[in-house]
Amino acid sequence: MSPAVAAAPVRRRRDSTRPRLAPWLFLSPAIVLFVLFLVIPMGYAIYLSFVALRVEGGAFGTRQQVFVGLENYVDALTDPELLASLGRLATFGVIAVPLTLGGALLFALLLDLPRVRFARFSRTAIFVPYAVPGVIATLLWGFMYLPTTSPINFLLTSVGLPPIDFLGPQGIYGSLANIAIWAGLGFNMIILYTALRSIPVEMYEAARLDGAGEWQIAWRIKIPLVAPALLLTLIFSLLGTLQAYSEPTTLKSLSNSISHSFFPLMKVYRDAFGLDNVSSAAAMSVVLALGTLVVSLVLLRILQRRTFEEAK
Amino acid sequence: MKRITAGRLIAGVAATATALSLAACSGGAPDEDPVTLTYWTWAPGIPDIVETWNADHPDIQVKVEQPAGADDILAKVLSAQRAGNGPDMFAAEYQKVPNFVLAGAGYDITDLVADSRDQFTDATWGLVTVGDTVYGVPQDTGPMVLLYRGDIFDEHGWTAPATWDDYAALAEQVQAELPGTYLGGYPDDGSTLAGYAMPLGAQWWSTDGDSWSVDIDGPETQRVAEFWNDLVSRGLADTTHFFTPEWNTELNSGTLLSWGAGIWSAGTIASVAPDTAGDWRIAPLPSWDGETTAGLMGGSSAMVGSTTTHAKEAVEFLTWLNGSQEGSSALAASGLFPASIAGQESLNSLDVPEMVAGQDDYWQIAQQVAADSATFTWGPNVQLAFDTYSNNVQAAVQNGTPFVDALTAAQDAVVADLKKTGYTVK
Repeated sequence: MSPAVAAAPVRRRRDSTRPRLAPWLFLSPAIVLFVLFLVIPMGYAIYLSFVALRVEGGAFGTRQQVFVGLENYVDALTDPELLASLGRLATFGVIAVPLTLGGALLFALLLDLPRVRFARFSRTAIFVPYAVPGVIATLLWGFMYLPTTSPINFLLTSVGLPPIDFLGPQGIYGSLANIAIWAGLGFNMIILYTALRSIPVEMYEAARLDGAGEWQIAWRIKIPLVAPALLLTLIFSLLGTLQAYSEPTTLKSLSNSISHSFFPLMKVYRDAFGLDNVSSAAAMSVVLALGTLVVSLVLLRILQRRTFEEAK
Repeated sequence: MKRITAGRLIAGVAATATALSLAACSGGAPDEDPVTLTYWTWAPGIPDIVETWNADHPDIQVKVEQPAGADDILAKVLSAQRAGNGPDMFAAEYQKVPNFVLAGAGYDITDLVADSRDQFTDATWGLVTVGDTVYGVPQDTGPMVLLYRGDIFDEHGWTAPATWDDYAALAEQVQAELPGTYLGGYPDDGSTLAGYAMPLGAQWWSTDGDSWSVDIDGPETQRVAEFWNDLVSRGLADTTHFFTPEWNTELNSGTLLSWGAGIWSAGTIASVAPDTAGDWRIAPLPSWDGETTAGLMGGSSAMVGSTTTHAKEAVEFLTWLNGSQEGSSALAASGLFPASIAGQESLNSLDVPEMVAGQDDYWQIAQQVAADSATFTWGPNVQLAFDTYSNNVQAAVQNGTPFVDALTAAQDAVVADLKKTGYTVK
C-alpha cells in the first residue's frame, strides 16, 4: 500500500509555498534556455518581419527602420521568385522522399531476413553516408557530376553512350535528390530496422506454420507493423526536404543551373545577408515555418489515424 | 539550505548579464592614448603593411581583423554596427559603397581627406563619393584588360583583337583551327557586363536632384548583351562561370584562351592554373567604336565606419596606407593593383606577375588602362542587379532566350526595389 502512504505527506505540504516553488526551480534551467534561445529569437524574427528599412530624404537619404505592418508578408506571398523556389523544392522532394523511404524500407526488410549474411557490415555500410557532413557529401558527388572529372560519364562515353548532363537544368534535380537519398537512406533504414527487430518472433513463427513465405511475411506482417516508424521517417524526410540548403548552396559553385534563389532557404539567406533585407527574410522565414508546421500537423493527423487504426 | 526564489534567481541572472555587458564595454576603445583602431579587410597582404604602420605610430595602433570576404562583409559590418561594436574602418568593394552609405554605415570624411584628393584619379575618387560626400579612400582598382594565352596565339599567328568585331572573328577562327577550344567566355556576372559596357558610356545608376535613374537595359548595355548573345548562340563563347572547377580545368588544359577581367586577373589565376605560368599576356580590352576608355571591374576602397569615435586617426592611417608612397607601394608589392597614382608609379620597379612573365610592357599597359578608366556610379542595390542578371542570363543561355531579357529583368527588379525602399525613381 505504498501509494497511500506516500500521498499523505504530500497533501499536508500543499499548504506551504515550498512545493509550489520546487517544480519551478527544477524547470527553471529549461525555461531560461527555452526563453533565451527559442522564444526571444523567434519573437525578434517576428518583430523584424513587421518592420522594414525605408528611406526618407532624397536620393542619398539613409534608411530608417519603420513599421510596415503586413507588407513584408504580402510581398513574400506574392513573390514569384519564392513561389518558383517552392516549386523547385517540390520537384526535388517528389524525387527524393519516396526513393529515400522506399530504399530504406527495402534495405531494412532485406537485412531483417533470417539468413542474411554480412548483416552487421551491410548495416554499417548503408548508414555511414549519414555521418558524412552534407557539404562534404555534395563535394564528393559534385566531382562525380562534373563533365571533366565524372567517372560515370567517362564510362558512358568510353562505351559509346552519350554523357549525362548531371548539372544541367533538368539533371540537377536528380543529382541533388541523389545526394539527399545517399545521405538520408541509412538513417531511415536504421529507424525502420529497429522497428522491425521489435516485432515478436512468435508472429513470424505463427505465420510460417500457416504457410506464409518471406514475401508474405514482409507484406502482411512487417510493413503494417512498422507503419508508425514509416510515418516518423516520412515526417523527418519532409522536414529535411523543406530545410534543404547546404547541398544546393555547395553545388551552386559547380553548376549554372542553381540560382541564388534556387530553394526557399537560399532565398532567405540571400535576402538577409546578401541584400541586407532582413525584414523580407524574416517574413519569408515565418511563412515557411508556419507552412511547415501546418503541413506536418495535417499529415500527422491524417496518417496517424490511418496507421494506428490499421495497426490495431 | 537557503531558499531560492524565482525573484532572486532572476536578479542573479540579471547581475551576471550586467557584469558581462560591463566587461564588454570596457573592451571598447578608452579615450586615452594610444588609440586602437579596428580595420576589417580581406586582402591577405594588409596585416604585414599594418605592422609597419604600428611600429612607426605608437599613438595610433591598428588592429586588422578578417571576419569576412568581399561578399559577406556588408552584412557583417551592418550587424556589428547595429550591435554597437562596428569596426572603425572596413574594406568595401566599390560597387557596394553606396549600399554601405545608404544603410548608414559610412562616415562623412569629405573634409578629412581633402588633402589627399590629388593622390587619386577621378575615376577611383568618384567611386568613393556618394552624392558630394566622400566616404572612403580608394585602395585597389581593376581596369579591365584581356588576359590571353600568348604562347597559343603566337603558335597560330593570332594577335590580340583590337575591336570586338575582331574578337568575334577570332573566336570563329579559334573554333575552326582548334575545335572544342574557346577564345573566351561570355559575361554571366553583372560585374563583367558593366565593365564591358562602361567604355560605351553606360551609366546604370545616376542621380538627378532627389531622384535616381536606372538604365541597366539602356542601348549601351543592350549592345554588349547582344554581342555575346550572338557568340553564345553560334557556339563561339564558353558558358562556364569563372572560378568553377570546370573553368579552372579549361584554363589548365588550354581550351579557354582568354579572360576579360580586371587587371588583377593575372594574379588570381596563378592559384588556378599554376602550370601555365609565363604563357599569358595582357592587352587592353577590345574597343567597340575605337574608344580607348577602359571599364573597371572589381577593386575596393577602405571606408570609415559611422560608429567610430576616431575618424581623424582612421583617415590618417587610411591615407597613409592607400595614398602615400610608402603605403601604396607596399600594397603594390603585396599583389594589389593600387588605386593611388604614387602606388601605380611604384609598379615599374616590381617584377611582372609570374603568370605573365616575359611580357615586358605589362606594367605600361596596366598603367595606361588605369589612367584612362571610365567613371561610373554604382547604386544602392547593386547586388540585386548582379544576382538578377546572373540568374536570368544563365537561364537565357539554357533556354535559348534573348540575353536582353535578363537586362530587362535586372532593370525591373532594381527599380521596384528602389521604389519600395522609398526612393524616387525617374
